[in-house]
Amino acid sequence: MAVNLEYVFRETVSNLKRNVSMASAALLTVAVSLTLVGGALLVKRGVDRATVQWKGNVELSIFMKPDAAAPESDAIDRQLKSMPEVKNYRYVSKPEAFEEFKKIFANEPDVRDSLTVDQIPPSYRVVPREAEQTKIVGQRFEDTAGVFRVSYAKEEVDALVSVTNFLQIMLWGIAIVLLSAASLLILNTIRMAIFARRREVAVMKLVGATNWFIRVPFMLEGLLQGLAGAALAFGVVWIGRDLIQDRISSARNDIQLFKQFLVTGADVTGTGILLLVVGVVVGTVGSALAVSRFLDV
Amino acid sequence: MIRLRNVSKTYKGNVVALRDMSIDIAKQEFVFIVGPTGSGKSTLIRLLIKEEKPDSGRIWVAGKDIGQLSSWKVPLLRRNIGCVFQDFKLLPTKTAYENVAFALEVIGRPAHVIRQQVPQVLDLVGLTKKRDHFPNEMSGGEQQRVSIARAFVNRPLILLADEPTGNLDPSTSVGIMRLLDRINRTGTTVVMSTHDSSIVDTMRRRVVELDRGVLVRDQARGVYGAFT
Repeated sequence: MAVNLEYVFRETVSNLKRNVSMASAALLTVAVSLTLVGGALLVKRGVDRATVQWKGNVELSIFMKPDAAAPESDAIDRQLKSMPEVKNYRYVSKPEAFEEFKKIFANEPDVRDSLTVDQIPPSYRVVPREAEQTKIVGQRFEDTAGVFRVSYAKEEVDALVSVTNFLQIMLWGIAIVLLSAASLLILNTIRMAIFARRREVAVMKLVGATNWFIRVPFMLEGLLQGLAGAALAFGVVWIGRDLIQDRISSARNDIQLFKQFLVTGADVTGTGILLLVVGVVVGTVGSALAVSRFLDV
Repeated sequence: MIRLRNVSKTYKGNVVALRDMSIDIAKQEFVFIVGPTGSGKSTLIRLLIKEEKPDSGRIWVAGKDIGQLSSWKVPLLRRNIGCVFQDFKLLPTKTAYENVAFALEVIGRPAHVIRQQVPQVLDLVGLTKKRDHFPNEMSGGEQQRVSIARAFVNRPLILLADEPTGNLDPSTSVGIMRLLDRINRTGTTVVMSTHDSSIVDTMRRRVVELDRGVLVRDQARGVYGAFT
């Protein structure tokens, strides 16, 4: 049987017109739910990126003895260069370390003036490729000649990793719960819209319309509603991201944690496309499921 | 055209709708199904369009055993059967013309066929002038004519009418009966359930009487109240 395209199109449009309130209820439900889902996904993206930055900035410091010989220092330099776990490292010389020391204790002149340049240990600041590798890298140098002490923020790193892992899982959970809630809401809204039109479905069955023929306009309607709702959610997420990003960049420069919370335009586009796909799938499949209840012979 | 063999149907709560019913209805026959409310008339009609399934027994429609019919073929069965109901079942948002055209559109008939057949059938039921009226702008008799037009527009082999005059006054009912008689004369088998004794007595057609799901009388050229 050739499906009359003109009929399907006309029927879909007139149904949408006729059931404006129901159609807009479904559309807004999709929009609100998907906005929340999109928001959760983008926050997750931001946290991911910030976590990488935080983890990437975790250093371990290899302090040399102040009187360490040059060959000892060179040996450590060579070893660091050859280690694949090391992302990068830099040498902090005595004068540099002294400047840093003076800055840290600027408010405590007693401490600041108690040491001279020669007493300050030079050090290697090492950034491992993975935060989890910090300890392994550090242990290699603990007993090396000329090394005074290896210091690493092990506990801080562990805490950071566990907090971000927890955040990730939580945001995924929120996104999944919201998406299921959105799907159920859409299914219900479409079911109500179809219930309002059960007379029409009954007549169609009576005169011998095939189930697919009855289903297609409803599915097209659901598709359009899902698509429009998702597009609305896309817009809201886009504008919301711009507003928040503006706030962050105008915030004080030294709030590094915020600075690293970055969501790019590509992230928003990617999430938006995902929202559109989800909206279309949920709208279409939801209508198909909802209408099949009324098609039982 | 229609054949039932030992058909029984019981609803929930042991309500017996049909008990061991067997009947043959030939092509082009006009049959009245009579009996009090709850005697199984509507169940019989629902079984014929496979809206219900019998608990036991077999049913043939147009030579096919509809118990063997797979569910996707049920729409094809219904295209061969026109249905008319007491409450018309018209769509209130569509005009007379659109209600009739809808029946052809949803079975995928091309537009030029619809444009040709719908005015023809509206002319047959005498509603050419009312084609753009909505159901609530028409009398009960006119609405029933639209519903008959919708049932007949696809030229079905069988027309099932479930108390088509149940909501109409006697003079309007006469008009509807003339229409059904005309349709029957075009070769369509008509099965009509009714309470209306005067209609049955006037028409003098085959009468099948049901009582609590049991066939108690099958009489050619019968009347409503004749008990044998």
